[in-house]
Amino acid sequence: MESEDQKVITFHSHYGALLFKRRYGQGCLLRPVPRSLSSSCGTAAFITGSLPIELLDENTEAAYERKGDEWVRIYG
Amino acid sequence: MKNPLRFHLHDGSVADMKISGKIALAISGALIGVISVVLVVFGNPANMGFCIACFLRDTAGAMHLHTAPIVEYVRPEIIGIVLGSFLISVLRKDFNPHAGSSPVLRFIIGFIVMIGALVFLGCPLRMVLRLGGGDLNAFVGLLGFITGIAVGCAFLANGFSLGRSYKAARLEGAAFPAMTILLFVVFMAAPSLFLFSESGPGSMHAPVALSLLAGLIVGLISERTRLCMAGGIRDIILIRDFTLISGFAAIFVFTLIGNLLAGNFHLGFADQPVSHSAHLWNYLGMVAVGLGSVMLGGCPLRQLILAGEGSGDSAVAVLGMIAGAAFAHNFSLASSANAGPGLNGKIATVAGILVLLAIAAIVTYNNRRKDG
Repeated sequence: MESEDQKVITFHSHYGALLFKRRYGQGCLLRPVPRSLSSSCGTAAFITGSLPIELLDENTEAAYERKGDEWVRIYG
Repeated sequence: MKNPLRFHLHDGSVADMKISGKIALAISGALIGVISVVLVVFGNPANMGFCIACFLRDTAGAMHLHTAPIVEYVRPEIIGIVLGSFLISVLRKDFNPHAGSSPVLRFIIGFIVMIGALVFLGCPLRMVLRLGGGDLNAFVGLLGFITGIAVGCAFLANGFSLGRSYKAARLEGAAFPAMTILLFVVFMAAPSLFLFSESGPGSMHAPVALSLLAGLIVGLISERTRLCMAGGIRDIILIRDFTLISGFAAIFVFTLIGNLLAGNFHLGFADQPVSHSAHLWNYLGMVAVGLGSVMLGGCPLRQLILAGEGSGDSAVAVLGMIAGAAFAHNFSLASSANAGPGLNGKIATVAGILVLLAIAAIVTYNNRRKDG
């Protein structure tokens, strides 16, 4: 069940990812966007728990939730 | 509810993803290192199995965009890289036509990246190949490259972005790969239209079929793994992630091994192939390349790959690099092997860095003001 809580959020810019981490605080890990989600080499935010909709803005490209071995798009 | 990333400790899935990404990148880097050594064995200039800057410059010369007689040849490696990326991205549904992210600024940045590379005498990929051949001048270049990336990261962390791109028509995305196909067809059908160097680096090349095949393989694996010479160092500085750097490291290790086996390893500063020992200008040339690459979102190799995937923005950056190459030779900005840069090259390097800093500062300031 724990893996179902995993979310990945992608951004239009590295700054968007850095800004998100600053606002989210503890529990957010910045890593390259998973290859299975995009061929871009941007930065993504990895979190667990519910999606913080209030922190998603024009810098946000999309958000994905882990379902088994796949990432399912839930935002954007 | 915010959770302090327990899944990294218990689930292991993210760690697995990182490891598999690193392994894929390391294998890709190893392959590129080996292919580079093979191309040199079959005729490419020493320590120049691949060099995106040099090969774009040679291609520009072959197309009469400059008239430096020793660097004129349509390099099939460039065509192969773009086509490899294009074909695999279409096949794996990665082909994503998009454009509209500050195209003119990208052209200018690409132009300056090329000037910096031709003052140093190599793109970041050739810098690594030169290191693997024992050329210590490339180590000075590496220091400059890291400096440029670090400065670029400072701007990224403070709001620099050339803006988002937007979905474009498929024709727009396919136009650049189609241009490279056309170039290759005309090159094969009517070679007399192009200039061919009779001496110097432009006259040294592997057979066309081998060069094209090598380019296709490098384009294919670089697209799948997102290999980028600048991205690896950027990610270490910006987010402390070592995934992308593994490709960079593997290219170095396997080029080193290949050169040792082929007897092409010569450690030192002096008498290195197609290089010079003007340390300050090796350093500053690669500062421009590092900073410009971070601003563009990837090194020259990565720009070719993205152009193959349908990025109009990267295609414009590559066109900027081609224009930069033409200017570099028409206005004596490029360094000479052994002698280093002349006065024009030195002025252009400093001016280029200042222009990059000005663009970065103005864009960062505007973005921050917009974000409040």
